[in-house]
Amino acid sequence: MIYGLFPARKPSKFIFMIRLFILIVFMITPLQAYAQTEVKADSSTQGEKVFNAETFKLDNGLEIVVIPNHRTPVVTHMVWYKVGGADEMQGKSGIAHFMEHLMFKGSDGLASGEFSKTVKKLGGNDNAFTGQDYTAYFQSIAVEHLEKVMTMEAGRMRGMNPPLQEVESERKVILEERRQRTDNDPRGRFGEQMNAALYVNHPYGTPVIGWFHEMEQLSWDDAKTFYDKWYGPNNAVLIVSGDVTGAQVHELAKKIYGPLARVDSIPVRSRTISPPLYAQTKVLQRHPAIRQAVIQRNYRVPSYRQNAKDSLALQVIEEIMGGGATSRFYKSLVIEQKLATGAGMSYRADSWDDTTLSVHATPAPGKHPEEIERAIEQELRKLVSEGITAEELQDSKTRMQAAAIYARDSLSGPAMAFGHALATGSSVDDVEYWPGRIEEVTAEQAQDVARRFLDPDGKYDHPPVTGYLLPSAEKEVALENMVQDEVVEIEPAANDNTEDGQSANTKEATP
Amino acid sequence: MRLALLIIFSVLLIAPAPLHARDKVLDIQEVTSPGGIKAWLVEDHSIPVIALKFSFKGAGAALDPASKQGLSRIVSNTLDEGAGDLDSQSFQKELRDLSIGLHFGSGRDNFGGNLKTLTRNKDRAFELMHLALTKPRFDPEPVGRMIASNQSRIRSSLSDPDWMAVRLLNDMAFEGHPYALNSGGTLSTLQSITSIDLDNFVKFRLGKNNLIISAAGDITPEELATTLDTIFGELPQVALQPAPNLETQNQGKTAVYERDIPQTVIEMIQPGIARTDPDFHTAQIMNYVLGGSGFGSRLMEEVREKRGLAYGIYSGFYLSDHFKGFSVSTATANANTKHVLDIIKAEWSKMLNKPVSQEEIDNAKSYLIGSLPLSLTSTDSIASILLSLQGDGLPIDYLEQRENGIKAASIEDVTRVTKRILDPEKFVTILVGKPEGVTASKTYETLPNVE
Repeated sequence: MIYGLFPARKPSKFIFMIRLFILIVFMITPLQAYAQTEVKADSSTQGEKVFNAETFKLDNGLEIVVIPNHRTPVVTHMVWYKVGGADEMQGKSGIAHFMEHLMFKGSDGLASGEFSKTVKKLGGNDNAFTGQDYTAYFQSIAVEHLEKVMTMEAGRMRGMNPPLQEVESERKVILEERRQRTDNDPRGRFGEQMNAALYVNHPYGTPVIGWFHEMEQLSWDDAKTFYDKWYGPNNAVLIVSGDVTGAQVHELAKKIYGPLARVDSIPVRSRTISPPLYAQTKVLQRHPAIRQAVIQRNYRVPSYRQNAKDSLALQVIEEIMGGGATSRFYKSLVIEQKLATGAGMSYRADSWDDTTLSVHATPAPGKHPEEIERAIEQELRKLVSEGITAEELQDSKTRMQAAAIYARDSLSGPAMAFGHALATGSSVDDVEYWPGRIEEVTAEQAQDVARRFLDPDGKYDHPPVTGYLLPSAEKEVALENMVQDEVVEIEPAANDNTEDGQSANTKEATP
Repeated sequence: MRLALLIIFSVLLIAPAPLHARDKVLDIQEVTSPGGIKAWLVEDHSIPVIALKFSFKGAGAALDPASKQGLSRIVSNTLDEGAGDLDSQSFQKELRDLSIGLHFGSGRDNFGGNLKTLTRNKDRAFELMHLALTKPRFDPEPVGRMIASNQSRIRSSLSDPDWMAVRLLNDMAFEGHPYALNSGGTLSTLQSITSIDLDNFVKFRLGKNNLIISAAGDITPEELATTLDTIFGELPQVALQPAPNLETQNQGKTAVYERDIPQTVIEMIQPGIARTDPDFHTAQIMNYVLGGSGFGSRLMEEVREKRGLAYGIYSGFYLSDHFKGFSVSTATANANTKHVLDIIKAEWSKMLNKPVSQEEIDNAKSYLIGSLPLSLTSTDSIASILLSLQGDGLPIDYLEQRENGIKAASIEDVTRVTKRILDPEKFVTILVGKPEGVTASKTYETLPNVE
């Protein structure tokens, strides 16, 4: 989950919007390439570029991507730092996201709150968000104000200096954010528990928002230590999308960001590694507020940076197995067997380390999650043993190529795509030539990745985690059928429940 | 002749004009088909994408009987589940294979549709939309599937306090009116919906005479004109009985729905103002200063920035055909509920008793005017704006009028309009959670119109 500075109007809608961006990003850019690994064979530059972005690099190490788009005289200006929740110090969970909030609380030359107020005065919008691998700040504004927002953004790259009382009140804000987005709905906590079980001894198991008890203790000293260590031009990517040319942005950036000194202390990213795990992990969470059960199975699979070839094949599999009303999971579980009212698969390619491939379903009334789990396994076995058909492969490619065209129909979407890619170790070419690379995926490759990563009968160093989120009432039924290798059971705490922001479309009062 | 002139006009305007503002906010053309169907269009051939949006005015959920709550929703979910010779899977497969986005949606007032296609697939896209509107199959399998999926959606929402708060706000503020019902259906009313209901919905609610249409992107006015007849030409005339107009019900009352959660969700509404009202531009300035703008708004400063009491707090206008409201929403730790409610009331008094500053009004104006182009950056968003203008019966040059209206507002205007709209005694307040220090005039034990 990605955490933002503030919700746009209604919190859940904002989250929804961000999710959409990511979907676009995913469809469009697998975002990650395996840039400097040995799998060179796949770094093809075949076919047409999607965005025709221009790239530059300043002497101080700042990378620049410009995506010209002259439809409207506006720009989106973003700075992505290659640091996120997964780069935090032990025991300081949430500090990356807290720092993101504090970036609006006063820097050299700007009073607390002045950044956003200035952007608004100029008719612009701004916000920021933090993920496991990145922290990003952006403004959308009329093109004539680009220089002003650049100047302010450059000012807070090294010059943060918030008053201490602002730090105190902002800590309360992030605690309210956690209550609102995680603790107020059991579905929020379920997602957190699933991650914690999948990423054992790896920072991705810790939520970006932070654990409540650690968030309560975060101080400006913690934030400053983190900021001084990671924030600097040589750990950042500047992305400008809109009514500008590459040369214009390059000139402005040289003038405004150019004087910032390179930060030599920026560490190489290194995260703790998960050891091999030997138990099948099941996460069982019950809660009296839950009326609709959920089943999810999450696999750890390669990201684009780790293995581009595998990642591209997994994207094709995701499209065939989980992409909408004609996908295999939906057809089998929802239409034919009537076991579920919804089913799908999602795969995120944009991650620095391992990433998550998730299969999920919503059980139909009276259907036990175990039946569904068996049906999911059956589909996966079929995929492993029979592979995909030539027609499925071609259709999925055609759809993904079309998604690349739609992706151009946006101002901030392309900037998001490049930001995710570059912050997670992929290159500009990985985004630009994504359609051509998808075109090269073969049915054999797809079957091969299915066999290596998704075989229900396979043996894995990091076995998938299966989770059930159930109503309290079904307790007896579920427990007796449970495979009890390792059950991480979360008893509902007294003060339990949450809002996870995923249900934006259920806001019935929204006209 | 007129069309030809429009094309020339628009070509001139579409030439890029970097680094300075354009004369017109948006170059909107009105297109009329040979069959007399009208649409608004913004032409843009820079990307091979076409967006077409339409709405059947007054055909939405407010007309669903109480015993069939969710009917409009089920129609919107099943129109794209098979039409003509194509069954559900064949129809969906074509949409997916051609990457055509074809969706229907229903609000309380209107029933609408969106079509998004690549230029190369446009002919089939238009034909599929035509089929969906005129020859929907409503086969038992997809209808049953969509009912089940909506029932799942409702059950899933029952752990979402935001959803519950909005449900209760509708129940309280719109009591006795169709708006108080659940437009997404209830677990039992959904079960009672049949394919006959769906057929009748299409026959009696979707007509040429209550249709508004917008288009944007890679299509010429001539081609759009022909397309309008292809898609909509066969629709009948319909006669709809509109719902009555409505005042805010239960003014001054506070309802609590107790849930065992750490934070209380707060939803409040009081009477508002129509978008067509001459004071609306000034009211937007008031809202911006008070709570519409996020950072910098008085509510955000007092509740979040100074005291850290919430992640966000926003005010805004609730605009529907028969009810105009002004609402506030936020969420705060249970123990702070009374504190936050007191701050909201205090900010209402402050707005009413002391004029806004020149700086506040200037900031609001420059944002409200300057930010408009930010919502014109995709084919889809442009088509949405065109549809929304028509939906409210606003003129084709409204965006220019709006700019002038906002610019003209003075401090005195804002004071006058504030006194006209704001009234803290008229708030209906919904609290979901375990609010502390608050006296409820009503407590809910269960959610109405859900089971």
